[in-house]
Amino acid sequence: MRLRKRQRLLLVVLVLLLGAGSAALVLAALGEKVSLFVSPSDLVARPLEPGRSLRLGGLVEPGSVERGADGEVRFSITDGAHSVPVVYRGVLPDLFREGQGIVTQGRLEAGGVFRASEVLAKHDENYMPKEVADALKRSGHWKDGAVEAQR
Amino acid sequence: MHGYATPLRFGRILDAIYPWALAGVLVLAPVGLWMALVVAPPDYQQGDAARIMYVHVPSAWMALFVYLVMASGSAAALIWRHPMAEITARAAAPLGAAFTALALLTGSIWGKPMWGTWWVWDARLTSMLILFFLYLGYLALHEAFDDPERGARAAAILALVGVVNLPIIKFSVDWWNTLHQPASILRIGGPTIHPSMLWPLLTMALVFKLYFICVLVLRIRLLLAERRLASLGVERG
Amino acid sequence: MRAAFALLRRDLLLARRRAGETLLVVAFLALATTLFPLGVGASPDLLARIGAGVIWVLALLAVLLGLERLFQPDLEDGSLEQLLLSPAPLEILVLARCFAHWLATGLLVTLTSPLLGLLLSLPSEALVALPIVLALGTPTLTLVGAIGAALLVGSGRGAMLAALLVLPLEIPVLIFGLGASEALAAGLEATGALLLLGGLLLGALALAPLAIAAALRLALE
Repeated sequence: MRLRKRQRLLLVVLVLLLGAGSAALVLAALGEKVSLFVSPSDLVARPLEPGRSLRLGGLVEPGSVERGADGEVRFSITDGAHSVPVVYRGVLPDLFREGQGIVTQGRLEAGGVFRASEVLAKHDENYMPKEVADALKRSGHWKDGAVEAQR
Repeated sequence: MHGYATPLRFGRILDAIYPWALAGVLVLAPVGLWMALVVAPPDYQQGDAARIMYVHVPSAWMALFVYLVMASGSAAALIWRHPMAEITARAAAPLGAAFTALALLTGSIWGKPMWGTWWVWDARLTSMLILFFLYLGYLALHEAFDDPERGARAAAILALVGVVNLPIIKFSVDWWNTLHQPASILRIGGPTIHPSMLWPLLTMALVFKLYFICVLVLRIRLLLAERRLASLGVERG
Repeated sequence: MRAAFALLRRDLLLARRRAGETLLVVAFLALATTLFPLGVGASPDLLARIGAGVIWVLALLAVLLGLERLFQPDLEDGSLEQLLLSPAPLEILVLARCFAHWLATGLLVTLTSPLLGLLLSLPSEALVALPIVLALGTPTLTLVGAIGAALLVGSGRGAMLAALLVLPLEIPVLIFGLGASEALAAGLEATGALLLLGGLLLGALALAPLAIAAALRLALE
């Protein structure tokens, strides 16, 4: 019976050790930010060969949206530090607007232009009536660090 | 603990809870819906489309909460051989599956106009889908054995294994860059949702919870009755 | 501990006596791989894009197909009862059994993956990356799969139900395994995904034996 008890104890210690190791690895991995998309800064830091399909995410740079006559939309995606020009032809989601966080699927073309085949809008966690949003904007408290919020 | 292990005493507690929960649903559901659809203002960005959150968010919360109920019931059933805990877990499972399906469905309907897609394989959506399959697996495993006792306890083990998925769902939006928004309410630094929209949401959440309790009680009674019939040798038609 | 090694030796001996089954797994992998060029078209571009994913799915299928033989034969010939009566903790014995099973499936997939990759016109970087990541991911597939196998011992239910129970829990391994394989093949760093795979493996090593042992005890109650 004593043997059994020592075995149990050993097992518990083993399970705890393995569990702690697992937690440590997972937490370390979370620091690496596995993500749905890459940011413009990632693209600048690690240039990819053109033609590779990827998801690019960031904010629509204010003042960069140009709508062509043939339904083609050109805009830039920025993460504050860098920006990438994007070309897209198709229907944009309701939430697509300047300063909005978006994720696009597409390919990098030669010349550094990103040709998107799909544009998805990402909305942040803030919900408020329009009047409150306007009041916040007027008083200058509008989303301190908006880029951070829409990461 | 074991004082409640007999169907009789357990049934008495259920009888005491049920009328209150039912009354709560009947009173609060119209109030909650009215608050959500009429009183709450449209969102500054998403307009009236954001109103779907008054269904989406409570059902997503319930999807997780019901799994917790199911897992705690399963744990109690395995550790203390508590028969009523086992029945509670079994009774909760289809409800959890339904809430999860509702959360996925309303999320999809919300995603199409706002994000521009019905579905995206980001961490939050994928882990919710896994939760749905866990519920289905639990139910299927329950029925997989000729001996119902064996099925119940095997399913209980599966429910406990599946608990690892809960923190993944909750924190997926913080750990990974997802298309899904980060948490608006249960977050460090307080809710980022205006009180005029938060209160209707919390009311709806309460309605969902009370509704769950109501149906849970009814399902437990059903399972208890089925069990008695089985012990009397009557087969379920 | 000695009991675990004895069990492992017995399992390996049995596996060697039935070398045909090992060949069968290899044949399954090769055949299933050839289905894809025939099924989706032999364009090397397309194959190279889906190749890593195909191999990961095949690894999962190989593990799933072997699950039925993991504990069921022991139940039928009574040796499962002997394992339970053994003074060695069941959790450790179960781990030995899983290891033997992994050698016959996961390791085989790992070793043959460069070959399968060639059939799917994967670039040479991927042929190097795949076995490394598979070696880290497939043990987790086996451990999680074994939970399903143990839960279903004696139910007489086939692989369908096992798949329903096990697949949802295997999805994270598939996601991060595939992510790491593709990132490494593209010459990107994959530290995050590799760390997560390692974390999943340690977590499975800690928790899966507990669940498997509990399920087996239940089966013989």
